[in-house]
Amino acid sequence: MHERLSFHIQRDSFLHRLNPLTKLVLTLALILIAFTFPWYWTPHILVLIAIIPLSIVGKVFREFSLTALRLIIPAAGFLFLMQAFFQPIGEDVIFKFYFLDITSESLMFAFRNAMRVFVMVSAFTLFLVTTHPSELMSDLTRRGLPGQFAYVIISTLQILPQMQAKAQTIISAQRSRGLDTESSFFKRAGSLIPLIGPLVFGSLVEVEERAIAIEARGFTSRHVKTSLHEIPDSAFDQFLRWALLALIIVSIGLNLWPS
Amino acid sequence: MNINIKDLRFTYPTGLEALKGINLTIDSGEQVAIVGQNGAGKTTLVRHFNGLLKPASGSVIIGGWDTAKYSVAKLASRVGYVFQNPDEQLFSRDVLTEVSFGPRNLGYSKEKIDELVKRAMALTELNDKAETNPYDLSPTWRKMVALASIIAMDTSIVIFDEPTTGQDAVNVGRIAHVIAELKKEGKTVITITHDIDFCAENFERVIALSKGQVLLDGHTREVLGQEETLAQTYVDPPQLTRLGKRLGLKETVTRQEEFMQAIT
Repeated sequence: MHERLSFHIQRDSFLHRLNPLTKLVLTLALILIAFTFPWYWTPHILVLIAIIPLSIVGKVFREFSLTALRLIIPAAGFLFLMQAFFQPIGEDVIFKFYFLDITSESLMFAFRNAMRVFVMVSAFTLFLVTTHPSELMSDLTRRGLPGQFAYVIISTLQILPQMQAKAQTIISAQRSRGLDTESSFFKRAGSLIPLIGPLVFGSLVEVEERAIAIEARGFTSRHVKTSLHEIPDSAFDQFLRWALLALIIVSIGLNLWPS
Repeated sequence: MNINIKDLRFTYPTGLEALKGINLTIDSGEQVAIVGQNGAGKTTLVRHFNGLLKPASGSVIIGGWDTAKYSVAKLASRVGYVFQNPDEQLFSRDVLTEVSFGPRNLGYSKEKIDELVKRAMALTELNDKAETNPYDLSPTWRKMVALASIIAMDTSIVIFDEPTTGQDAVNVGRIAHVIAELKKEGKTVITITHDIDFCAENFERVIALSKGQVLLDGHTREVLGQEETLAQTYVDPPQLTRLGKRLGLKETVTRQEEFMQAIT
């Protein structure tokens, strides 16, 4: 009955097996290189040589392309249009729309920015889809991230699906009491109160109970905690992280180089 | 009002096949307990009775109404359903408003609503708590408010989803009393329960589900006597029944009086 509690999709792939921190570094590297490497076609090439191959290696190509089609491409497309119209650069006007000019320069500029955003959102999507949030957080806390911070991130990632499941049960319970949720708009608007009350109250109670539960397990204790799950961090992971870091530095360096 | 279920099958969107061909008839005024291991399909089955779930194939007919063709709000006039967790349905500022929410939705007249609410509150012993906010009550009393809010709808069929979970002996007694009163009024009561003593003492018919199918269905004594078959769905007969078996009593006993009679 339960829906997924995060974006994570469980698969057995090379990408899934990488250490969460490595994947985080990989994500940041893709984004930073796309934004800073001083060559016009960088983001476009990154999509071809990194984003798409990674989604195939991670065995999530189908899910990724669906998300890209439904969400990322429309968002990047919107950005493209806005920038193409409103960027006041260049003289080579190709297209006029009332007072708006589209120049070949603004078109190129918008195309690159849209691709940069595409790389950014795609990289994060791949990261979230192939990394279990609790695995990421236990790895980061092991490396010194404060537990409170990890908790805030984890609970934010999980609260929406959980509230959704809870809301579904409440709706079922009230419909069983004859609440009409299927007819006219006004009837439905009036029927919101019986749904929101239990949802808000229940969520508040849940927050308190969760706080007590995690404190009972020594959440704020300052002792070093061990973890039930050993998260593998191979020599290859470490190598990859350093290599990616080097790439980021080179990319930013080239960007800042006085030309 | 009869319940007729023909070859009912249901699969959740996740691909879990929860019901694999259920055939059942429940007559008007019967007191039925549904038992079985977690995931056997008990809740999935009863959610078909008031249309919260619609059959993937087969049919569920409530007194001539095919649930596939009626909305939940419509079916609510025939089937009342008390959810397991009262916190998922209580929202009003006081108990009285909460209890009258259901009957008001059903569009009864003012006088009838007052009468139904009064009766439901008396039955669940909530009279002195009419003005209280449900959330100021203890969980046991919130459970009674949930019961009252469904009973006040005066439906021919009442479903309880695990009413005795987390309740003390006194409150289990109150719930048993409510069920007995509903029986007197000729209502059909269907209860999902893991409390096998409660089941033995308050129900005439027991349906044991296992993996989406009916494993056993019959008179309480017959069903609870079949220890080996019940074990398939992780249900233990009541201690008295097992004791009677070990003592070599000829008849299956499920209640104290029967046991005492059999050994004297």
